[in-house]
Amino acid sequence: MSMPLLRFESLRVRLGERPILRDVTLDVHAGEAVGLVGESGSGKSMTVKSVVRQLPEGATVAGKVRFGGADVHAMTAAELRRMRSREVAMVFQDPRATVNPVRTVGDFLTEVLRDQGLGRAEATRRAAGLLAEVGVDHVERRLGQRPYELSGGLLQRVVIAAALAGEPRLILADEPTTALDVTTQEEVVAILNEQRHRRSAALLFISHDLELAAAVCDRIAVMYAGEIVEILPAGRLHSDARHPYTRALLRSRPGTVPPGERLETVPGVPQSADAVPAGCVFADRCPHAEERCRSVRPALLAIGPGSAACHLEVPC
Amino acid sequence: MLEVRDLRKVFKGGFVAVDGVSFSVPAGGSLALVGESGSGKTTCARIVTGLERATSGTVLLNGATSLADRRHRASVVQMVFQDPYQSLDRRQTVRSCLVEVLRHHTALDRPAREARAGELLDLVGLDRRLGEALPRALSGGQRQRVAIARALAPGPKLLVLDEAVAALDVSIQAQILNLLVDARAATGVAYLFITHDLSVVRHVCEDVVVMSRGAVVESGPVERVLTEPSAEYTRRLIGSVPRPGWVPSRAVSRG
Repeated sequence: MSMPLLRFESLRVRLGERPILRDVTLDVHAGEAVGLVGESGSGKSMTVKSVVRQLPEGATVAGKVRFGGADVHAMTAAELRRMRSREVAMVFQDPRATVNPVRTVGDFLTEVLRDQGLGRAEATRRAAGLLAEVGVDHVERRLGQRPYELSGGLLQRVVIAAALAGEPRLILADEPTTALDVTTQEEVVAILNEQRHRRSAALLFISHDLELAAAVCDRIAVMYAGEIVEILPAGRLHSDARHPYTRALLRSRPGTVPPGERLETVPGVPQSADAVPAGCVFADRCPHAEERCRSVRPALLAIGPGSAACHLEVPC
Repeated sequence: MLEVRDLRKVFKGGFVAVDGVSFSVPAGGSLALVGESGSGKTTCARIVTGLERATSGTVLLNGATSLADRRHRASVVQMVFQDPYQSLDRRQTVRSCLVEVLRHHTALDRPAREARAGELLDLVGLDRRLGEALPRALSGGQRQRVAIARALAPGPKLLVLDEAVAALDVSIQAQILNLLVDARAATGVAYLFITHDLSVVRHVCEDVVVMSRGAVVESGPVERVLTEPSAEYTRRLIGSVPRPGWVPSRAVSRG
């Protein structure tokens, strides 16, 4: 396979003394969609933030993040700015935190385009085209509206349009539909999917919802306590998940068991990366943990169609 | 146990949040009010618990139309919110929070209150040692357990749960859902479950009312409504839940 567009090489991040990410290794190829799935505190957002060097103040980084081969954490300010504005686009959970509340939708969209050297009229024309592509109606009127006049779903489409405006090679989407109603989520996700395919952009999609991530992505990486514990092709998630944590996540959703039956639960609470044991990060909560799980850390090794970090031969 | 008839709520400025909504919850039953944002489900819940006053319509609780006495109402209906951190006093230990509720709403003496607080912690699956903890020392799931224990403390007949599991991680959500199933079996309390999540409905509720834009779209037993929905809106709601093999599609934009 060709060189990946984005590569995490044993990425480790600490905040002061606290480890946030412990050895994240993952490739995202050009045009590929990878889902980062896990519970709160698992390190999904930090992994994504490390791509554009937006880690919190005081964070120390070991290992590498490479974008198009270049070490992101060794880039000059100008290179970083160029990457952020032209090659990598970001879509976050709350669109209202992304757009400037006192400027119009048109201003927000044309800013990106004008920055690329387009004239005012041409930028406006392109902005209108982008809005239409992401399913926004009454485009002319919308361009003159301000964020508070738009619903959350509509505003998130505007943010996606802006993300696409720079023709990025990679889109980072951090829970982009979590704040939306389910029917709106479906539309926004469908649009994101369609536009990504049309433009052959790669996507790193963060979600706490395994099924949602599986519907949008080619591969799924499951994170727990600052580590990737399993990577699988999205279509093989249900049939081939090996890691006890992935399997527990799949089975703890209500709807997976007949009504009235008990949901499978994982005892305890999600670990944060700074409290993990010497061995496997999941050993404390794993119902199948053996002696070596507590003492020897399992490596993420290729197995079946994916890879898993688990000692157990036939888990569950 | 709860009978809501022809409820209507008009907010200042003329916005009609709830329009002609009726539903009932039998003693020990479990009803879900399902809908997206703006459907009026939370307004209904707030009227039932007395946090909001209806413009017209009746709410019968235990056969009584008005529970003007707040203390009496609180011993019949209790509410659990989405964010337990905001609904707990951050300077009060878990045990003292429970004991305070028991002092207000029961005739128990001090040793009996202490004993009951311990039983409540057991009921919601919290280690009794955590009784001495402050909310900030607890995880989100543990805080929600405390909120449920506190709501159950007065021995209410009805628990209104407003998106009570929405903010929890899936593995924790499963624990709390199991806990809610157990608590209902153990105490006979009825649930009015306000949620946008259909899979949660299937798991903990017997009946469901689907709401959209302030009105009831469809209602009936959960099994029937979720497997053979009759309203187009319910079908769309069910169809948009991510599941294995699901392909998101772009419907006609509603603007």
